[in-house]
Order: sequence, then structure tokens, then C-alpha cells
Amino acid sequence: MRRRDLLKLGGLAALGATASACGGSGSGSDGKNVQLQFMYWGSTFEKAAVERMLKQYEQKHAGVKVKPLYTPDEYDVKLNTLVASNRLPDAGYVPLAMSYRLGQQGKLVNLFPYLKKYPQLAGYLPDAYLWSGQDNLHGVATANEIELLWFSKSAVAAAGVTPPADAASAWTWDQLVENAYKLTIDQNGKHPDESGFDPKQIKQFGISSSITYGAAWYGFLRSNGVDFADESGKKCLLDTPEAIQVFQNLQDLVYKHRVAPGPGQLAATGDDAPGTNILLKTKRVAMVVDGHWSLLDMNESKVDYGIGVLPKYKEPFTASQVAGASAVFAGTKHEQEAVELFAFHNDPRYVDLFAKGLWMPQEKKYYEDQASIDSWTKNDLHPAEFRTAVVDYARDHGVPTFGNRVKNMSTISSDVLAPALQEIETGKRPAAEILKEVTPKITSMLQGWQHTQEL
Amino acid sequence: MRRLETRWGILMALPAILGFVIFTIGPMVASAFFSLTDWTIGASPSFIGLDNYATMVKDELFWKSLSTTAYYTLGAVPLVLIVSFVVALLLNQKVRGLAVWRTIFYLPTLVPAIANVVLWIWIFNPDFGLLNSLLREGGLPGSQWIYGESTAVPSMIIMSTWGFGNTMVIFLAGLQGVPRHLYEAVSIDGGGVWRRFWHVTLPMMTPTIFYNLVVGVVGTFQVFNQAYVMTEGGPNHATLFYVYYLFRKAFTESEMGYASALAWTLFMIIMVVTFLMFRNARRWVYYEMAGAR
Repeated sequence: MRRRDLLKLGGLAALGATASACGGSGSGSDGKNVQLQFMYWGSTFEKAAVERMLKQYEQKHAGVKVKPLYTPDEYDVKLNTLVASNRLPDAGYVPLAMSYRLGQQGKLVNLFPYLKKYPQLAGYLPDAYLWSGQDNLHGVATANEIELLWFSKSAVAAAGVTPPADAASAWTWDQLVENAYKLTIDQNGKHPDESGFDPKQIKQFGISSSITYGAAWYGFLRSNGVDFADESGKKCLLDTPEAIQVFQNLQDLVYKHRVAPGPGQLAATGDDAPGTNILLKTKRVAMVVDGHWSLLDMNESKVDYGIGVLPKYKEPFTASQVAGASAVFAGTKHEQEAVELFAFHNDPRYVDLFAKGLWMPQEKKYYEDQASIDSWTKNDLHPAEFRTAVVDYARDHGVPTFGNRVKNMSTISSDVLAPALQEIETGKRPAAEILKEVTPKITSMLQGWQHTQEL
Repeated sequence: MRRLETRWGILMALPAILGFVIFTIGPMVASAFFSLTDWTIGASPSFIGLDNYATMVKDELFWKSLSTTAYYTLGAVPLVLIVSFVVALLLNQKVRGLAVWRTIFYLPTLVPAIANVVLWIWIFNPDFGLLNSLLREGGLPGSQWIYGESTAVPSMIIMSTWGFGNTMVIFLAGLQGVPRHLYEAVSIDGGGVWRRFWHVTLPMMTPTIFYNLVVGVVGTFQVFNQAYVMTEGGPNHATLFYVYYLFRKAFTESEMGYASALAWTLFMIIMVVTFLMFRNARRWVYYEMAGAR
């Protein structure tokens, strides 16, 4: 090809780009060769599901190719490295706490102007939007997710226990403990309240509920009438009697009642314990507090599971919006297409991740309108109790988890909160002592709640 | 002719020189500069002089990570030195199947660091791990190992002995270099095994011990894998090793400026400690050829 031809082609391509940028809706990419990168994390099942989503996007948007950047571990480290070297992908997941920083630094595209163009983006649950300043919408929580009480059907049936599937009949904490006793069995078939019970040889734990993972206990905290911080977001409330009660109860599950596994008891690596699907399938644990996203892995690994709502103190509550963020990275050469991919990647009309059980929709109508609810829940992969235990529960009792809304949370968490929670987990000292020590330290680091605004 | 040779010499050495400049000196100079800035990844660095170093003095976790690392070094280095020296002494004997024994003791060193750590996670598991199972068999109480605040670092010190192969090989090489005639002289004077060891082996081995000590201290000051894979610095910061803290500040919390300052502080600490060891070495390291130098 001669140089003149090359220049001509270049000129045509530039014209095409301008035309498509002004072209408004639709793929805006016809006849073009657009290459996007989508970065994400997740289990191997999630990897396959996201790849399917990207294929669908490609089918619906001729001329656009998306390269999946699957990054299962150390996501924040790798993303930070990409930021430092200015080699960001076009769109993808962002760890929530990091998303606020990147948003403020202008590393994420402000989606606020796009809300008019993509109506479904404007119909999200209010808590899904992530603002890093007035009118600066840097992303949305990737999907809605809530914490649930998963259980092995055969284990609870054998013990004659039925975890409730609607918030109105949620167990009290005492009922949870009582039933966890029935579900905890040592190698000789004895329960913790029987003589001769061997706590060192437990075959099946009654329950597992993380002390170190904020979303797992945030619902209990709110249910007991207290929050992580006060209204100003500058005073930590973990030393209040209500909060102490929640953490003491969690600690007691392990060391007093011996119905829950302690650190290292489940398996290999502390936080990387086997997934809830494996724990229930092997009946290592009968009931597990974990996120809705487990549904995909449950179905894929053919677990005989059931879903219940969390136990309550006063009002029943569960932590919601516990997924990471999704965003479009600033500096993308194809902002239009990247925003389209963003709008597409969690749209239940096109993406089977909702019907497959990984995600819950962010759009309000999927919790309110019967046909819309049916569109993602009426299938074999969603059990009968899903409507009351998940859809209604999320809509009426979901409270957005504190971790996503407190400023400076990642430093607070790694430097102060996580070590304190680990100490509660090891059971050497009562929760009150630890929380009273750590609360003033957290208060000194708090900088308020993140910005929110009405649409 | 000579000039041509020089040119060729430089040309041949260029890849190594470039590699050193680009991948070692360059980043070091950059991090020295960044250590004087407030740089959060994504924003541009702003010069703040020595503020990062001043912050460090008040940073509880800096002191915690430094003391945890020192604790680990003080435990792991002597233990590895003793174990590898004793094993090297045994492997220096003329026994049957010597090559096989040497291979067996060296083998763990060949296991990749992360695989090694994963293996030990299982060994330390309080519930069904190898160590607690053995203790239970013996009717002894188990331990929480890496999951307990007071036992986490000692567990890692025990684990450090696993990879003593390299140190052992260096000791073995040193042992082979001890002149035979010195042993013969002791024997003629009526000295037994113990005297041979005390008056010949040990003094002749002091340079090797010194070398392994320095390399060991420098290495353990940079311990990272265990905290990264096994404990994430927990429980309750019990295994918050210095380099792991630095890594977290840099890549999780994005505080590159502060992390650079942490890196340079560690560099200085290691320099000072090494210098002190060299100063002190004059008193106890014996060089046979010292007079000839």
C-alpha cells in the first residue's frame, strides 16, 4: 500500500469516528474496528459467565471486540499498578473503596451526563450509585447483592430445623443458637450440649458467620439498632452496648456454644476458606451466612441447598450493595463504546448472570414489577423460596453496607478494624474490651460518609 | 588493538550494565525521590521533604512491623544457622548413600516459595494439620500455630528451617575446605572428636558462618511470602512483617510516597545492621590467610 492510500484510509477512519461519535444511540460502531478491554474478578464460574456476557455484547455491537482481563487475585494491586503506569482498561470492576479515590482523581468517566441517554441507568436502586462529588457519578455497584443464610437441605432436615425464608418470621438470635446446637455434631454424633461432646473433633458445624467480613455482620448491627458510625460519619459506634452484643454473640458461637468454626478450623487459608458451596455440599457446616452471589456456584456444583433470611435482633436487616463497583476508565479511546459496554454488562435484558444466580439487578423495577421479577427469578436455578427470602428481603430490609459509604475505609480497615476483628475471632479477650480500645482509634481516622445525592 | 578490545568488552557487558541501570539503579533513584513526596497512585506527586520519615516515627504500625520483623530475624537466623550447620556436619561424614542424603536435605529448597507456604498452611492447620495430629497422637495439647497471635511468628520461625538447603550447602563446602593436616595434628596431640571440632572445625568455619549470618539477616529482614499468603499480616498484626506492611501501603492503600520512604528506611536499617556485623566480625571470625593480606 502506498503512503497516499494509507493517509486516505486514516482520514476515512477519523471521519467515521467523528460521525459515529455524533451518531447518538445504537452501537455507534458500525464498520469500525473497536477493541475494548474489560477487567474483572470472580470465581471460575463467574469467569465463564462474564465471558458469555462479553460475547453477547460483541454479537449485538458489530465491529466491537472486547478482551476480557480476568484477574481473580490481588485485583486492587494489579489495578493500582495499571493506574500508576497509565495503562488502564476501558471498563470493568473496581474495588469499591478504590473507586472513590479513582473517581476523585478523575480516572473514571463521570457517568452523570450519560444517565439521560441510557434510561435504564437512571432507574437503579438509589444506593447503587457511587458519587465522588456533586454530580460526579464515577460508577455503580456492579450488581445488587445481599447477605443470606444458606443451608444444606439434608442437614437441616436431619435435625428437624427449618430456617425461615421470609423476614417476618426471621429467627431471633437465641433461636439461631438453639438450632445451631441441633446442627452441630462431633465425630461420635454428639451435640455441644451433650456430655462427652468433643469440640476438637467436630464433624459438622451448625453455622459459620464471618467476624472479619463487614457485610456479614452489618445486618446484625443495624438490626440491633446501631450503625458503624453516627450521622456525621465521624464518630464510630462500635463501642455501644448494641454493637458489643452483636460481636460478643458472634464470638460466643465459636468459643462458648462451640457451634461455629474458629479461625483455621474450616480449612487451609484463613479468609480463603472453601466456598460456601463446598462447605454445604460436604456438610462441614450446616448453615452459612454469605452473599447472594453464592447462588451461581451452588447451582454449578449441584449443592442441595436452601436459602433463609438472617436472624434478627429487632427489625430484620441484611447488608446490601456489597458487590464491588463497575466503572468506565477515563482515557479510554472509545468512551462511547465503553459506556455502552458498561450499560450492557449488568442489564438483565441481555445478560444471563441474573438468571444464572450470580447477580441481583440494580434496576428498581426488577423488585417491584411482577413480570420483571419473573424475568430473572422464574427458572430452575432460583429455588421456590427465592421470592420471599431474597427479592422481598432485599427490597424491604436491605441496608447498604457501611464499607462502601465510609470515607478512608480501606486504611481504617487494614490498619485498625481488621486486626481488632481478628482478635475477637481468636477469642482470647471479650469483644467489649477490644471494641472499646479500637473505637476511639477508628473515630480519629473517620472523615465522614461518602457523598450521595438524589437523581 | 587494545581500544578495540575495550570496546568489545563494554559492548558485551552492556546488557548487564543496562539491566542494572534500568531495573535497579533507576527504580532506586526514583523511589528515593518519591520518598520525599506525597504520592497517591493516580494523583501527581507533591514534594514534602522529610515529612514521610517524620510520619513514620509516629506510625504505630511502622514500629510494630519493625519489631515483628526483628523478632522473626532473631529467631529464624540462629535456628537456620544451627540446624544447617549440624546437618552439614553430619553430611560431611563418610556414610553410605551420602549423595542420596544430601539430595534429600537439599530437596525442600527446590520447592517454589508459594508452594512451600501452602504446604505449611496445611501442616499448621489447627483442625486437621499434620503437627496437631501428631501432637494429639502423642497425647499432647495442640496449638493454634499461625492462627494464634502469640504463636504465629514462632510458627513461621519453625517453618523457616525448612529451606535450610542453601545455607547447608555453603557450610558443606566450607567443611570440605578445612585442611586435613590440622585434624591430624590434633589427633597426634591426643585430641578427640570434640577437640577437633572446637579447635579446628569451628574456627576454620567462622568465615562461612559469618557469610551465612549476613546473608541470613539480610534475607529475613525482607520476609514477605509467609505474611502475604498465610496470614495477611494477622491475626491482629501479629505477622505484620515490614516488607508486607510496605507492600500494603504501596499497592493496597496506594500510598507510594510513604511506601518509598519505608523502603529506604529498611535499606538504611539493613546497611547499619550489616555494618555492625562486619565491625563485630573482627573479634570472632578467623581468616587463615589474614596475615598474608
